[in-house]
Amino acid sequence: MISDYNISRGRRSTSLFGSLDMVAVTIYVVIVLIGVLCITSASFDAESDSLFSLSHNYMKQLVWVGISWVTATVVLLLDRRLFHMFAYPTYILGIVALLAALFFGREVNGAKAWFELGGMRIQPVEFVKIATALMMARVMSDYAFNIKRLSDLVKVALVVLVPLGIIVLQNDTGSGLVLGAFLFVLYREGLSKYIYFPIIFTIFLFIAAMMFSPVVIFTTLLVLFTLYSALKTGAIAGHVRFLGMVFLAALLLAVVTPLSGYAALMIVCGVGAALLAVVAIKTRTMMLLWPILMFVYAMIFVPTTDVLFSHLEPHQKNRILTFVGLVDDPQGAGYNVNQSQIAIGSGGVWGKGFMDGTQIQYDFVPEKHTDFIFCIVGEEWGFVGALIVVSLYVALILRLMRMGERIKEPFGRVYCYSVAAILLLHVLVNIGMTIGIMPVMGIPLPLMSYGGSSLLAFTLLIMIAIRLDASTSDNDISV
Amino acid sequence: MYGTPNTRYRILRFLVLGIGLVIVGRLFFMQIVASDYDQRATRNMLRTEVEYPMRGEVLDRNGEYLVKSRVCYDVLVVHRELPKEGFDTTRLITILDMPREKFEQRLKEAARHPRASTLVIGYLSQDSKLLLDEGGFSGFHTRFRTAREYPRKIGGNLLGYVSEISSDQLNRKGYEYYSVGDYIGTQGIESAYETLLRGEKGVNYRIYDSHNAVQGAYNDGADDILPVKGLQLTSTIDARLQEFAETLMEGKIGAVVAIEPATGEVLVMVSSPTYNPDLMVGRERRANYNKMLNDPQHPEFNRAVKSKYPPGSTFKLVQGLIGLQEGILRASDRHPCHNGFAYGSRVMGCHPHSSPLDLREAVAQSCNAYFCYVFKDMLTNSKYSSIKESFRVWNEYVYSFGFGRKLGTDLYGEGAGYVPTPEFYDRGYNGRWNWGTVMSCAIGQGEMGCTPLQMANLAAIVANRGYYYIPHLIKHIEGRDSIDARFYERHYTLVDSVNFVPIIEGMWRSVNVSGTSRKAYLEGYDVCGKTGTAENSGPDNSTFLSFAPKDNPKIAISVYVEHGGFGSAVAVPIASLIEELYLTDTIKRPQLVEEVLNTKINYAAYGEKKE
Repeated sequence: MISDYNISRGRRSTSLFGSLDMVAVTIYVVIVLIGVLCITSASFDAESDSLFSLSHNYMKQLVWVGISWVTATVVLLLDRRLFHMFAYPTYILGIVALLAALFFGREVNGAKAWFELGGMRIQPVEFVKIATALMMARVMSDYAFNIKRLSDLVKVALVVLVPLGIIVLQNDTGSGLVLGAFLFVLYREGLSKYIYFPIIFTIFLFIAAMMFSPVVIFTTLLVLFTLYSALKTGAIAGHVRFLGMVFLAALLLAVVTPLSGYAALMIVCGVGAALLAVVAIKTRTMMLLWPILMFVYAMIFVPTTDVLFSHLEPHQKNRILTFVGLVDDPQGAGYNVNQSQIAIGSGGVWGKGFMDGTQIQYDFVPEKHTDFIFCIVGEEWGFVGALIVVSLYVALILRLMRMGERIKEPFGRVYCYSVAAILLLHVLVNIGMTIGIMPVMGIPLPLMSYGGSSLLAFTLLIMIAIRLDASTSDNDISV
Repeated sequence: MYGTPNTRYRILRFLVLGIGLVIVGRLFFMQIVASDYDQRATRNMLRTEVEYPMRGEVLDRNGEYLVKSRVCYDVLVVHRELPKEGFDTTRLITILDMPREKFEQRLKEAARHPRASTLVIGYLSQDSKLLLDEGGFSGFHTRFRTAREYPRKIGGNLLGYVSEISSDQLNRKGYEYYSVGDYIGTQGIESAYETLLRGEKGVNYRIYDSHNAVQGAYNDGADDILPVKGLQLTSTIDARLQEFAETLMEGKIGAVVAIEPATGEVLVMVSSPTYNPDLMVGRERRANYNKMLNDPQHPEFNRAVKSKYPPGSTFKLVQGLIGLQEGILRASDRHPCHNGFAYGSRVMGCHPHSSPLDLREAVAQSCNAYFCYVFKDMLTNSKYSSIKESFRVWNEYVYSFGFGRKLGTDLYGEGAGYVPTPEFYDRGYNGRWNWGTVMSCAIGQGEMGCTPLQMANLAAIVANRGYYYIPHLIKHIEGRDSIDARFYERHYTLVDSVNFVPIIEGMWRSVNVSGTSRKAYLEGYDVCGKTGTAENSGPDNSTFLSFAPKDNPKIAISVYVEHGGFGSAVAVPIASLIEELYLTDTIKRPQLVEEVLNTKINYAAYGEKKE
């Protein structure tokens, strides 16, 4: 068991570049090059007279690849302690940049999250991800840090919530969600697993609240929880009787009083939950308390969701409703997703060939070279190509986690995990939205989507991790 | 172990792999298992563009256009392709010639389906289309269509019109050829010959990008189907004669039908009031149509083939012929008439004339009493077992003249008229009726109802001395040797041709010697005619049935004018003038034309026109 993660390095070189994790670097380079190919396919114009003119997207992207790689080299040459030192200033700079964008930035697609410099758009949030990762690593690697201590947890929460708050104010919810990736890191660092249940439960409830009427949700939950309790205790007959009583009482209440069926069920459930809680505490069957608590939580959450939901922007509402399947509007909100799924689905096993995808070439997929770049892979290179690209991302994420594990000190580990988590969330949400298993959120596919600032930021993010890993063998480790 | 960092590393690795597997699984399903994405991608870029064929045109018997097809265009908009910065709407609506309000409403409708082509307006002329193309209004494109055009603006009911197919029709069996937005012939020739006139739609498969720009032909156009132009029809109608007849009928309600007896070809078919068929084309079609529907005189009702008019005295010809054929009447038989025919307590009145008369004179003078005697003689004749049997025999004769049933023409919506049967009287009089009850049938009154087409056909039968060809409106179909076989078949009546001689003699005398039809006299053409004055709820209907020349007849005609008074008053001059124009190619009696045009008939019974 231990050999699984007790990672040892076969080759150890004294030179810095010799000690780089070449697997990670190779995957990085391959993904970037695949990205350039896809952008070329999306923007190549055979009729253009100057194929190498900088007016073409693929040429612009190539320039950015050059800039990124030069930056990568610089990062790899820096002393690892610098990143430790940079944590605070970069974080503060990041917050300032976010605030500046909020007040003086440019609005793109409804999000006031951009700067425009000489015709080039930069989204500070791309770099804030790096700053936050560094800051997390810095805070959590403090020798006095204990994840089980509330004050330390609050500190960590603040590191994430401050930028998150500003990003939400910028109306860039999709990017804000990425910061949720740090839950992944916190789990690795030993955060209690009980925190994750309510989060997952909340997400589940949110989607359910969109799709079904509250009566259906509560009835299902009631049956499920009772079933769970029945299986745990083995007293099946008693639980069936309990269920029957609840529904009978609700029915009676609805018939006798002018209350609606929904209100009657809520009242009966509320009273029932309270009674059960008293019984559970008295008989010390604490195991009963969990389902009761979750149920009560659901009773509060589901109605409030409607209120919360009504505060979302119309386009966000539409995206969520379309994703959940409540709105079917292939010409409107669902158009992007519909077209992207057609593109990927029509790719078949081997794809339609480079620059031969009809969905891409005839412009049916919007944002094909930015957020929906995975469609090019899916349509033109088919299942085989898509499998390779997904595998490359999974391999890179696993590699980063593995690097984190083999770095002995927490700063590097937390940082590597942060990078892995950010990549994971990006890949899941971005690819997920192109294949219709995630709602549409405007976040790019790391390293592949067209856009200089995004490529540069992800390069920095990953290269710092590789640099931190490479220094594992450095003799002068000191914190 | 649970909860330690290394276990959590393993759990997180599983999470990452799990997410990867979910994505790959979904990709596997979409790209390898599911099969419809492929078709949807093809459907996305492939646009099956319907190419409408030119609708077939209709010529008159002399090769003149009755109906022409003219090129026009539908204007469509793809809302998504409209320039964001706006466009010169004022100029556009000037080119399209549509009110701004309507234009904006159409744009709003188009916004609901931003990627679909939505109709903005139809019937854009070729010139306006060129202006539109020049203007370079992005988001707007045109579709080739043809619209109808009527050079002489005649024959509204006869020709019918073309309109967009209704959703009702689309759901019906037999309409599989059509889809939304297609045009279909409605009424008249347009409807009867729809399958020939419409041609075949073509299909183009073109690759389009998402901006609706053509990217080329799919499969190099191998699957494309070219549209097939509709067939050109040659009608039996004489356009000049038709126009003249319509002019003469202006202000009168009724119908004129003229037939070439030797062929059954319909030369003229007027239903009056008529309408300008051009009003049934174009943007104002719906408004014009509704206006027509609200007209109390119902110009959309094709009286020539649908009305059930009492034939009046013109039916005496049939009565006489039946009597002769049954041997009940000899041409020399004389019957007295003293201002009518008295039976029981009733009197069938008649106008003053000399008495007694033989058959020829009875026809010429249109004596009511004479034919009442003939009918009574038949109904009470002992050669039949009962009055019912004799009436049934009478029925068979009348049917053989084309009455009481559809003739089987090629015209849309032909009516059958009505001929009473013994069963009808059994029902109406509880089985208790006698010859007196049905006497009005002898002179074409009472329950008898005939279409003007049936009456013209009677004129043709008499002209032919006993047979007819089914009257028809189309004599030649482009690319075909013949029309339907039924139009070449002679239909004989049950009356021998020899029996027609005294009847025709009477009709000739009525015009040429002395009688009710003197105004129909045409020097050198031996016109034969029979007037009719049909009683009905209002003032009498005026009708005239005629053919000319007596030997080797060229034209048989029936004119029917509602509330026109005596047959000789209105119907005779109208029929005579049409014969004159057809036979002599000129009008030498302009004062008679004036007289007809100045004849005003009060149609108060129809109610006021609602505007």
